[in-house]
Amino acid sequence: MSTMNQLLIALFAVVLAPAVGALLQGIDRRINARMQSRVGPPLLQPVYDVLKLLGKEGVILNRTQVLYAWIHLAFLMLATVLLVLGQDMIMALLVVAVSTIALILGGMCVRSPYSRIGSSREIMQMLSYEPILVLLVIGIFMTNGSFMARDITLAGKPLLLTLPLIFLAFLLVTAIKLKKSPFDLATSHHGHQEIVKGITIEYAGPYLAILEVAHWYETALVFLVLAAFWATNWVVGIALAIIAFVIEILFDNLCARLTYQWMLVHMWTVGLGLSVTNLIWLYWK
Amino acid sequence: MLGCIDRSPWIVHYNCNSCNGCDIELLACLTPLYDLERFGVLHVGNPKHADILVVTGSVNHRNARVLKNVYDQMPGPKMVVAMGACSATGGIFADCYNVLGGIEKVVPVDVWIPGCPPKPEAIIDGMVKAVGIWKSNPAFQAQGGAARISLTRRPPAAPVQPAAAPQPQQQPQPKEGSPDGRQSS
Amino acid sequence: MVTWLLLLLIAGPILFGFGILLAPTREVRVGLTLVAAGVTAAAALYLSRWGPAYGGIFVPSHALPILLDWLMIAAVIAIGWTSRNTPVLIMGVVQACIGLVLEFHPRAPQAMPQPEFVFDQLSLMLVLITSVVGALVLVYAIGYMDRHEHHGPHSQASQGQFFFFLTAFLGAMNGLVLANDLRWLSAFWEATTLCSFFLIGHDRTPEANQSARRAIIINVFGGMILQTGWLISVLNGSGDSLIAFNQAQALIPVAFLVVAALTKSAQLPFQSWLLGAMLAPTPVSALLHSSTMVNAGVYLVMRMAPGFGGTRLATVIAMAGAFTFMAASALAVGQSNGKKVLAYSTIANLGLIITCAGMSTPLGYAAAFLLIVFHAITKGLLFICMGTIEQAIGSRDIEDMHGLMNKMPFTTVIAIVGMIAMLMPPFGVLLGKWIAIESAVHLPVVMLLVIIGSALTVVFWAKWLGRIVTVSYHQKYVMEDLPPVMSGSMLTLGVATLLSGFLAYPLFENFIKPLARVLYPLSSRTDASWKMLEMTESFMTWPIYALAILLVGSLLLTLMAVDENRLRKPFLCGENIADSALTYEFRSIMDRGEVAMMRSYYFSSIFGEENVSAWANPMAVALILSLFGVIAI
Repeated sequence: MSTMNQLLIALFAVVLAPAVGALLQGIDRRINARMQSRVGPPLLQPVYDVLKLLGKEGVILNRTQVLYAWIHLAFLMLATVLLVLGQDMIMALLVVAVSTIALILGGMCVRSPYSRIGSSREIMQMLSYEPILVLLVIGIFMTNGSFMARDITLAGKPLLLTLPLIFLAFLLVTAIKLKKSPFDLATSHHGHQEIVKGITIEYAGPYLAILEVAHWYETALVFLVLAAFWATNWVVGIALAIIAFVIEILFDNLCARLTYQWMLVHMWTVGLGLSVTNLIWLYWK
Repeated sequence: MLGCIDRSPWIVHYNCNSCNGCDIELLACLTPLYDLERFGVLHVGNPKHADILVVTGSVNHRNARVLKNVYDQMPGPKMVVAMGACSATGGIFADCYNVLGGIEKVVPVDVWIPGCPPKPEAIIDGMVKAVGIWKSNPAFQAQGGAARISLTRRPPAAPVQPAAAPQPQQQPQPKEGSPDGRQSS
Repeated sequence: MVTWLLLLLIAGPILFGFGILLAPTREVRVGLTLVAAGVTAAAALYLSRWGPAYGGIFVPSHALPILLDWLMIAAVIAIGWTSRNTPVLIMGVVQACIGLVLEFHPRAPQAMPQPEFVFDQLSLMLVLITSVVGALVLVYAIGYMDRHEHHGPHSQASQGQFFFFLTAFLGAMNGLVLANDLRWLSAFWEATTLCSFFLIGHDRTPEANQSARRAIIINVFGGMILQTGWLISVLNGSGDSLIAFNQAQALIPVAFLVVAALTKSAQLPFQSWLLGAMLAPTPVSALLHSSTMVNAGVYLVMRMAPGFGGTRLATVIAMAGAFTFMAASALAVGQSNGKKVLAYSTIANLGLIITCAGMSTPLGYAAAFLLIVFHAITKGLLFICMGTIEQAIGSRDIEDMHGLMNKMPFTTVIAIVGMIAMLMPPFGVLLGKWIAIESAVHLPVVMLLVIIGSALTVVFWAKWLGRIVTVSYHQKYVMEDLPPVMSGSMLTLGVATLLSGFLAYPLFENFIKPLARVLYPLSSRTDASWKMLEMTESFMTWPIYALAILLVGSLLLTLMAVDENRLRKPFLCGENIADSALTYEFRSIMDRGEVAMMRSYYFSSIFGEENVSAWANPMAVALILSLFGVIAI
């Protein structure tokens, strides 16, 4: 593929991903509302939120906060580009990890106790889900024989059939990534606060808008990975992803927030256990 | 960009020394029965994310400083909504030794919602009017804003400088707008 | 020319060391140290021009290595005797006995005579690291030791001794990585042990003496195992050079040498000496116990990697390394002493290098190579930053490092650079880790341990980073006052760390691929692992630049962003104290001011030293025993 084509695809992905993410979040809030027997905001509400935030006064505590917010966004954009261009999946995973670390540092670089507690919890979240994500990529490697994202359909059959247990573990990871109960510890969606918004508490106005747009990218990435579990037929993949999203929203409404110790123990026993079992199947073939 | 502020007004709620009656009614507005979220209103917990400061309860020496602090931490453009009789004038506690009066002694108020406590319908009405200020009054786009709308027909009392320690024997000013729970129209 | 340069690199620092020992004044000593550092680094950099002239080097003298070897054994026995260190005394005597047998045992005729020294890409790389990073740490040590006051200012004699051992160590280490003949190897091995012993015990406090004692016991044990392996190979007729071992695929001596390497690199269960060695002055930790001496062990494993490639021994070695990686990372999570965190991180990364060397594929070898290089640079940098920080704030505890950016911005920024280099692409250590994960796929248990270890490393680096990145806007930065030797060395290593990601591609082209082609000649171009090597190498171009550009771009956007009018205080529920110098002071009950402080999570009940060592050490011993088990059975 020529460089020009690659550049165009990358640009397209960078513009499309946040749009998809925003739409997904809007649908998320609507479905949430309907599950709670209320009307809910309009579908484009996340867009209105970000536009409003861009117009607010940007109050901050120090300059490095802003640096970390930009790094957080930039690296999520890069991870999206890497995946869309079919590059190495472990590198994409590491880039997403860098983005999360930048967010953690952004929370820790201010002398705000809520922010720092949120960052500590975010570190615990990373510890909970990183191994499962790497095992997911290893599982994809075992199926297709390649670490490159463009070879994801090399085996000819959808990943859900070879990696069913890893899919279940990934659903748990999705709950953490999308900040849904029972794992919305570091910062929460909407009004479900425990430590007063946690990591993002000291960001305001346009800088909070950066974080919101980054969360759109993250939502789109999660959606992409979920859809990739049926990469042979993208329509089925998208349907699968939508079903997974609805399940996440359902569990968000059913569960209460739990402690980070519970999350660590649960993810490392159930999540890792499911992933390792699935990999044992793949290795034994 | 600011044109969207009326579609996504985020509120932070501060309880000065309310009996919690107004707070419960505000939270009731966020429940499915009344659902403020359909206007895009989100109850965020900290002032840095919020556009509207909803205050219940009256001002006393201790929370005057705290209320000012919370108001100052909010990024502009911002608005203050005084909910209930206590935050308008001090309510039934206006004569207490520690109560300085309504919250307008400390922060500039834009919308008053009377009631003790106000019904959720009145609260929604107040919120919609608050959002309407942003929509209709371009002068308000600047920080702070000067337009003030009251949901009662009678204008509020002029702000009085808070005394350092009000003596209990001091004769309080006759208050306008008695806290009798009557709703506005 | 190569021979003369190598001689300069080995003998030069030792001679300079003697000069430093006899130097009458501080100025002469400092001058000699600077010259030694400059000459060593320059010689190593000049040597790298002679890349293609790789090969073996024959040394005409046979008396010199014998003399050196016996000198070392005698020194070990002397130390054991004078410090009443019975284990060392016994092991020294055992070594002497083994030495005697080795002197007089007839050697089986070899197919071709083996060179005493071998100069190839691996040796060159390690010579470069030792000499250049070593020279920079030596320069730093001049400034550090001037300020190092432990139980009173040090005398001329003890400073002279310190710099003698530090400089002579560079020569011994260079000799170690160039040696092929086991006599030379074992002589230099013991020499580095002795240097470490004297340097750890430099402060002469009871704790320092205790740590030095433990260090020498474990390292002499390793030396004894090394000699035992050599003895077995001579008795088997496998010859007494490393190349001969590899060619003969002599697994038993290789296993002994690997165990010796594990002791030198402080792998589990031998890690306690390195932790105790953290009591030494920080230049010692930076030079010996992170970039160079502990690299000797992993170098030995890498040198022998083709010899045990593809056997079950290789699998067990990989597993031992991966287990150390995971356990040491877990131990680091529970530590709040900064130097101990760095020590455990070093042990973990060395375990990862051993894992990669034990995978016996070209990709694994490449990962090990990259990790050795980048880890040495980055860890050396972190240790010297830690030394500066420790001298400034008087404490090694991470929780005491709040507000560091305002007190010492230069050091803090360089320390942040070092830490993110351990953690993020596009810097070198993470590239090595990435390739390590990819190459580990065919060994599932090893891969799982590496993954768990990687997740744990993020935790402790993020905690430490979070503690030192805290900045408060209003306070003016006070640039700290450091002597140019200290700030210059920190800056140089910092820049080298920043550019490390860009070095990966040239390293691949000029060092790793030619080396791997020589060492894994049976793998043809169609082999799966070779294909992966090609693929990962081709990856290292545009994404690295993209990452770097994004980082720089974010920095620029930030600088354009902010103005003073928009500053607020943190949210403390409205109770901020208005005129407080500390933005995080809030009004609490009785209107008293309180400070909102938050410690990081340490989980000492799970990750504490005693709790983890309780299960990790026995399992490590079991792994080492199975090293011998898989070859014997």
